[in-house]
Amino acid sequence: MNALFWWLLVAFLLFSIGAFGVLARRNVILVVMSLELMLNAVNLALVATANFRAGAEGAGVLFALFIIVIAAAEVAIGLAIVIANYRNRRTVQVDTYDELKG
Amino acid sequence: MPGGDFHALLFVIVAVWILVCGLGVVLFRRIMYSAVAMVFCFLGVAFAYALLAAPLVAVIQILVYVGAISVVIIFAIMLTEVQTGRLELFFNRQTAVAAITALVGAAVLAVVSLSADIGKVGDQSLTPGLRQLSRLIFDRYVFPFELVSLVLVGAMVGAIVLARREGERP
Amino acid sequence: MEGTAYLQIAVALITLLPLLGFIVTLLFGKRMGRQAHIFPVAMVTVTAALSIYGFVWAFGHRDETFVWNAFDWITAGQFHVPWGYQVDTLTGIMLLVVGIIGCVVHYYSIGYMHGDEGYYRFFAYLNLFMFAMFVLILADSYLLLFLGWEGVGLCSYLLIAFWFRKKSASQAGKKAFIVNRIGDFGFTLAMFLIFVVTGTLEFTGVFAAAEKGDISAGITTWICLLLLTGALGKSAQFPLHVWLPDAMEGPTPVSALIHAATMVNAGVYMVARSYPLFVQSETAMTVVMAVGIFTAILASYIAITQNDIKKVIAYSTISSLGFMFVALGAGAWVAGIFYLFAHGFFKGLLFLCSGSVIHAMGGEQDMRKMGGLRTKIPVTFWTMLVGALSMVGMIPFAGFWAKDEIVGATFIAGEYVVWVVAMVTVLLTAIYMGRLIFMTFWGETRADAEVQAHIHESPPSMTVPLVILAVPAALLGLVVGLPPEGGWIHGFLEPVFYHPHHAEFRLLGEGGALMLASLLTVIVGLLIAWWLYVRQTEVPARIADRVPWAYRASLNKVYLDDIYAVVPVGATLGFAQWLWDVVDVKVIDGVVNGVAWLWGRIGDGLRPIQTGRVQSYALYMFGGMVVLVAVFAWVWGS
Repeated sequence: MNALFWWLLVAFLLFSIGAFGVLARRNVILVVMSLELMLNAVNLALVATANFRAGAEGAGVLFALFIIVIAAAEVAIGLAIVIANYRNRRTVQVDTYDELKG
Repeated sequence: MPGGDFHALLFVIVAVWILVCGLGVVLFRRIMYSAVAMVFCFLGVAFAYALLAAPLVAVIQILVYVGAISVVIIFAIMLTEVQTGRLELFFNRQTAVAAITALVGAAVLAVVSLSADIGKVGDQSLTPGLRQLSRLIFDRYVFPFELVSLVLVGAMVGAIVLARREGERP
Repeated sequence: MEGTAYLQIAVALITLLPLLGFIVTLLFGKRMGRQAHIFPVAMVTVTAALSIYGFVWAFGHRDETFVWNAFDWITAGQFHVPWGYQVDTLTGIMLLVVGIIGCVVHYYSIGYMHGDEGYYRFFAYLNLFMFAMFVLILADSYLLLFLGWEGVGLCSYLLIAFWFRKKSASQAGKKAFIVNRIGDFGFTLAMFLIFVVTGTLEFTGVFAAAEKGDISAGITTWICLLLLTGALGKSAQFPLHVWLPDAMEGPTPVSALIHAATMVNAGVYMVARSYPLFVQSETAMTVVMAVGIFTAILASYIAITQNDIKKVIAYSTISSLGFMFVALGAGAWVAGIFYLFAHGFFKGLLFLCSGSVIHAMGGEQDMRKMGGLRTKIPVTFWTMLVGALSMVGMIPFAGFWAKDEIVGATFIAGEYVVWVVAMVTVLLTAIYMGRLIFMTFWGETRADAEVQAHIHESPPSMTVPLVILAVPAALLGLVVGLPPEGGWIHGFLEPVFYHPHHAEFRLLGEGGALMLASLLTVIVGLLIAWWLYVRQTEVPARIADRVPWAYRASLNKVYLDDIYAVVPVGATLGFAQWLWDVVDVKVIDGVVNGVAWLWGRIGDGLRPIQTGRVQSYALYMFGGMVVLVAVFAWVWGS
């Protein structure tokens, strides 16, 4: 039980909360928001590890920065898809998008 | 508890803040409430970065997440319909299974990181300074850095193409 | 060996030029239209000149055997098959026959096929045939010989079924191909056997092993009999002869080139080439002779009643090939090849003449509707007369000398039964060839008035080849066959058949008597034909009424086609039907449908999992990841 573990535990719990949102919520925008929570959890784990572990040479922090940038791109694309889809179907209910049903 | 009493107290406050706001995001029925909770959650994470001696990441977190991404999401919410109604409209049928799976996942990760050899952990910050980070970005990781710029350009173009109406000239 | 560099170039070109002609004509012939013949005919003309050069080389080096491995044809690990050429005196004779007749037939075809819609295709196939035939006779191994063997079989199929819109033509093509497969199967087995026993397929190696006695007597007999099976198919001998009469559906130049002068001789050539094997097996030799003589008399018997002018000649070809096998079986190897040599010319001539007759009659092939053509198409008449007299064995034409040597050889070998049958065959041959000539050229014309008005002599591109072929058909025997049993050709072929069958010929002895008997038989036969078909034209019908069974048996080709339709073909069809009804429908379809049914049910069972909702898939993924992390931690955890 050291400092790093507690920070990691926070990150794991945030990740689980985000995952629950992705899996359970019906609004597609909320799904995107939950995804952001998951990404934040990962960033938190990276920065915490970089802070407490020797030998990382700052790579953890750097990866966190890269993830933030990628997340921005992902949000832009994801929401563009949501908007385009909404325009065609007049709904944001993600479980109505089921054309691939077997 | 990390880093002395004061530091430990801050940690507890930040951790509770982040988790409560996170739960708010996924549990609120009004999506606008969820969005506000999300903004506060991002802020909490930024404080956490500051506590972890990574001020640069904290600043960028506030700029990108709190500033840009939140705004974009709120725009998207306003462009789509706002739902009201019964619980089934907000949570799908696999909610219970999803909750259990998420909890089990967190538990497994916790157990793994407990049982794993995390190694020697000091209390003092090992996070590099701005000078060292800059050197990393523009020297060792310059190629990923440039690639990321390409990704951003692609995402920009893609978002515009996707979002504009059919037959509309930009 | 000095001067072989030229010969190397020559044999390489002999095979390459027709192949080139084939490819070019096939690719560009359609655009050349009426000029499509120029390139292939030029190729074949050069090839003919080169093959004459090959003959001349063999003439000058009769004791040498030229063997040249041009390149590695097949390489598989330790196993090499060279693409090798072999030239000796036997090859020389074959080169001469194939080269000259092939060339002449090409020129003849220019006139005969004029205006046909498949003009270029015809010449392309002819060139391909020349390529395959030259590979066959120049090969230095059984495998390469087999390549040419199959190649000529393919061309035979393509050319018989040349007018493929005609149902009977395409059927005849298939028949020829399938019947030949039976023979080729035997040939293939023979090659396997040879390879297993000697480890090589090259003639020099195989024959060296045979002469050292490395192959046991029983095996030798089996090899010979299997090789003979192949020869029976290709050379149309009983019981595999049924394809050749049907092959007359093809254009007449094809009949002349492939089904008279060259390809059908391949079987004889192959047996002659395998001489060192055959001489070691008495049994095989006897079988060769028995098959030959039986085929000869059977074909003659059938030929007597046939009314189609080409069918008569086709049966005469089968009969002649039977004679060649008799010669080989009786040990008169040189006589067999001599007859092959002469036969190529006079039978090719006969076919080309019949083509000219058919051309004149506007496509009519039935002799009952001909007659009196003697004065109307004189060039055709005279050349055909030469061919027919040579065929029946009239002194002094080429056929006489060759046939007499064969018939005499059977007597001298002590095979008196064979000799008697051969004499009967000679008599029958004289009768049916006389019938053909008299029905076609003598008497009153029986053609329709409209056809009669259009009867005309063929163009020079057709008549000149006739005259060219008539010369050797008439004089070849005098040049190479005199004196009998000791003519030039005997000395020429002696290096190949190095146990020469030397019989002293004495005009006032056994030989002279046999010759006289043979000659008298021919004259009697011709007189009978003249009496039956010129003087007393109602007699043949009365004979047919008196012995209807004999007449019908002959007319229906001894019912062999009908028997084949019932026994092998019917049995095969029945078996195929059974395979379809039981094995295919029930077993195979059952398994296939059963497998499909099984997976269909499994799919039905699994379908609810595929909801199409992205979040359920995400749940599977997430759950799977959790499980994986747990498993990895448990397995590799510290």
